[in-house]
Amino acid sequence: MLYVKNLFKSYEIGKTKYQVLKGIDFHVAQGEFVAVMGPSGSGKTTLLNCISCYIPFDQGSIMVGGTKLAGQDEDTLAKIRNTKLGFVFQDFMLLDGLTIRENILIPRIIQGEVEKDAEELVDKLVALFGIGHIMDKYPAEISGGEKQRAAVARSLINNPMVILADEPTGNLDSKSSRAVIETFTEAKSKMNATIFMVTHDSFAASFCDRVILLKDGTLYRQLENHGSRGEFQDRLLNVIKEMSA
Amino acid sequence: MVITMKQTLTMRAIEQKLRKADRKHARLYLFCNFIALMIISAYSTLMFSKTVQKVFPKGGDSRKQMYGIFVMTLVGCVVFTIYAARLFFRHKSKQLGILMAIGASRKRLRSGLFREVVSLSSFSAALGVIAGFPFVWVVWSLFRLVLVDSSEMVLDLDFRCLFASVAFFLLVVVLACVFAWRYLKKTNIMEVIREEHINEPVKELGRWCGPAGFLLILVGAVIGYYAPLIWMTLFSSYSPSWLAMLYAPVFIGTYMVMLYTVVYGWGRHKKNPYKDIISRGMMKFQAKQTVNNMLVVTLLIAGGAFAIFYLPTVGLTSVFLYKSYPYDYFYQYPADQKVPGEETVRELAGKYGLSLKDWRECEYISLGVDGNVEVADEGKRFHIEYHPIQSEARILSEDAYFALTGQETDVSPGTYLYVTDAQESSVWTDEGAGNLTNMVTRECISTEFAGYLHYDLLASATGYYVLDNEDYEKMAEGLTDEWRGHIVQFNADGRDSYQFADAFYDLFVSSFDESCEHTYFYDKVKQIVAEERGETYTIGEEWQISYDDTDNMNFKHFWAYSPSFRSLLLNEHLCLMGVLYMMFLFIFIVCLVTSLVVCYTRSQTIALNNRYIFDDLKKLGASPTFLSKEVRLQCGNVFKVPAAVGTGAMYLLYALLLYANDGKITVYEATGLLAALGIVALIGAVVYGTYRGSVKTIMTQLGIK
Repeated sequence: MLYVKNLFKSYEIGKTKYQVLKGIDFHVAQGEFVAVMGPSGSGKTTLLNCISCYIPFDQGSIMVGGTKLAGQDEDTLAKIRNTKLGFVFQDFMLLDGLTIRENILIPRIIQGEVEKDAEELVDKLVALFGIGHIMDKYPAEISGGEKQRAAVARSLINNPMVILADEPTGNLDSKSSRAVIETFTEAKSKMNATIFMVTHDSFAASFCDRVILLKDGTLYRQLENHGSRGEFQDRLLNVIKEMSA
Repeated sequence: MVITMKQTLTMRAIEQKLRKADRKHARLYLFCNFIALMIISAYSTLMFSKTVQKVFPKGGDSRKQMYGIFVMTLVGCVVFTIYAARLFFRHKSKQLGILMAIGASRKRLRSGLFREVVSLSSFSAALGVIAGFPFVWVVWSLFRLVLVDSSEMVLDLDFRCLFASVAFFLLVVVLACVFAWRYLKKTNIMEVIREEHINEPVKELGRWCGPAGFLLILVGAVIGYYAPLIWMTLFSSYSPSWLAMLYAPVFIGTYMVMLYTVVYGWGRHKKNPYKDIISRGMMKFQAKQTVNNMLVVTLLIAGGAFAIFYLPTVGLTSVFLYKSYPYDYFYQYPADQKVPGEETVRELAGKYGLSLKDWRECEYISLGVDGNVEVADEGKRFHIEYHPIQSEARILSEDAYFALTGQETDVSPGTYLYVTDAQESSVWTDEGAGNLTNMVTRECISTEFAGYLHYDLLASATGYYVLDNEDYEKMAEGLTDEWRGHIVQFNADGRDSYQFADAFYDLFVSSFDESCEHTYFYDKVKQIVAEERGETYTIGEEWQISYDDTDNMNFKHFWAYSPSFRSLLLNEHLCLMGVLYMMFLFIFIVCLVTSLVVCYTRSQTIALNNRYIFDDLKKLGASPTFLSKEVRLQCGNVFKVPAAVGTGAMYLLYALLLYANDGKITVYEATGLLAALGIVALIGAVVYGTYRGSVKTIMTQLGIK
């Protein structure tokens, strides 16, 4: 579903060039829930921004559902973002002037007119994520956890190939974090969604099928979740400890 | 507004809804556009009106000042329009970024965004242009109602005023589109989303910046002032206009001083380096933008102050001077004119129940006097030429001077004394010149300057010389009435009558024939000399006057034989100078309003840009007192420094100009300067009031109680 091959990305600040990603390779399969972890500066967010087509990359290739991102024009990239990808941000990125229903429908509205199937999907999603009661409210009127669940619903409205989530629990308390992670697991189990999530939170990552660990712009290790969530979290913490040593 | 499911959910409907929700953020942008256009429209309406164009002489200093301040106002308006647009787009950017992030292409967003910015900018700007006209009308009518109402004050508009307004209108719309285009062109979507959080990059500012700034101001002022004089001496040529560029270090220095003030402040942090560290830290990120703004505000306040100082310095000086005259009535006329004599004047006064006293009169003669003249060559070059007969001088004998003034003088033969005012501020003689020529017989006498006599009523641009009685008689021999004249002065016995003064003025002017229909810039001797050389003698068209309208300002000010009737001068001063004074008052109001709007906009920008810092400080436990102090410190720089520098610099410049006029500051000028100080205090109070209001708004916005 998502292929990243030999990805390089650098930034120039003043006259200094910083190499952030140094040849990253991995793939994410259909229906897989994958997390990316690593210390600050390891390149997690840059990797996500490259996959999201928010920033151009220097070298390598990214394929989403068989479509290569490199060399595409602006309009095509926008279409990929709209139809093949879904997004969940740390700070929700809901539009303050729209109700939750309208916010969820925005990716569909961008495509064109909203058909009945989209409205039915909204109803299904809000029921699944337990946010039906806030449909006509505005973002300023609901809690952070509710905002993020609405953002997850928005990311699913176009049945994307991959949901890209950037620290989705970063701004939430533990209860809300769990509720948001559960929306991802629900989306995965009930809608066969593919999720690629950047996180610092080992608890959130322990719900994933696989965790990719980055260090200094390179892939340090990949861990697969075969056992219980608790045991996977312990394994994760040990590797993180080892990576920091 | 909630879009119901019955309505079709389209991008256009969503954009409309977002626009409606964004009204709060668009308000400042709309307000700034509206104010900018209203100010430009009002200023240009008045500036290009026939009312003002008639009164401000072509090529005159006052007209140049008016245009100069207009350019400054224009710059100020452009600056705050840009800031308001930037502020609007900083907020809009997040919305655009989110839509881009979830798959809206730039093409998809383009039409909606342009529709929004074009409608917002053109609506607010058009409203501003239209509002400019009633604004001028209301302000001008108020002036007429409360201050001055004369025939010259009737507002007569000219369509040319629309040029500036329409050009500025287009600028505002184009600017808005350019901003929209810039945001759409950004390739890094995350940058678009996080635009609100992006600050200027910090560059270390050297500690030398402040002192070096002061040095540059000093160097620029000295070089700029003396360069034209040095140029003229070295090259015998008028200085080219580009030499004014040598003043540039003054502006660079002011910028550096302000930058230093904003970033470091002056000397207050040495003992406690942590004092005000937060506000100084915040300002480091916005110092350059803030200082650019402050410079514009400084210029505007300086322009406004320059305009308003004109009123007390010129107005009060004139009023005090009129009051100090020793006689109520003073006039002079050539002997070939049939001006009513003492008997007729007393008769006329009697009709108004007025008796006259202290009647004194004497005779004067007009002679040619030698002098050095600057003669223009090709290009801007000139050379000095000595002319044995250069201009006209009016001459009194010792006895005539005594008869008129009661001052006994003893002028030695072969010398002359020059009559000036008590302050010696009116000196129009070349102390080296002394060859006097009878323009009829061409008899010549050589005299030497021997000092000054003081009599305010005789101190005028024409200049009076007092000669020894015998020398006078010798030179007067053979002169026709055309070269002879009379000076008369008297007082009202008891309370003076304005009605008599007015009637006498009409009678006096109507007794002159066409040969005297010219301004005091006209010089009969110069004309004769020019014609003898085969040249044509001209004075500018703008200096033409006519007997057709003897009550207008130009005639009363510039007529060669304009009498000095105290009650007329005092009563009509405001009326005669009305358009001039009111235009300057209007410029002051416009400049002050513009600068306050710029300050207000900038202080709001600072608050909005630093919202996150204030939120963080709150989380760290900062008390409302602490936070409000930080807000005050942030805003303080924006308001107080430009007000202090603008008014202070202009006050000093005015004092210097008054001093440079005649090498001294007279009592009247000092009184005018004192009144100007009161205006400085008034400007300070208005700026302080706006600063307090601005702080209050910011505190509400930041949720600081």
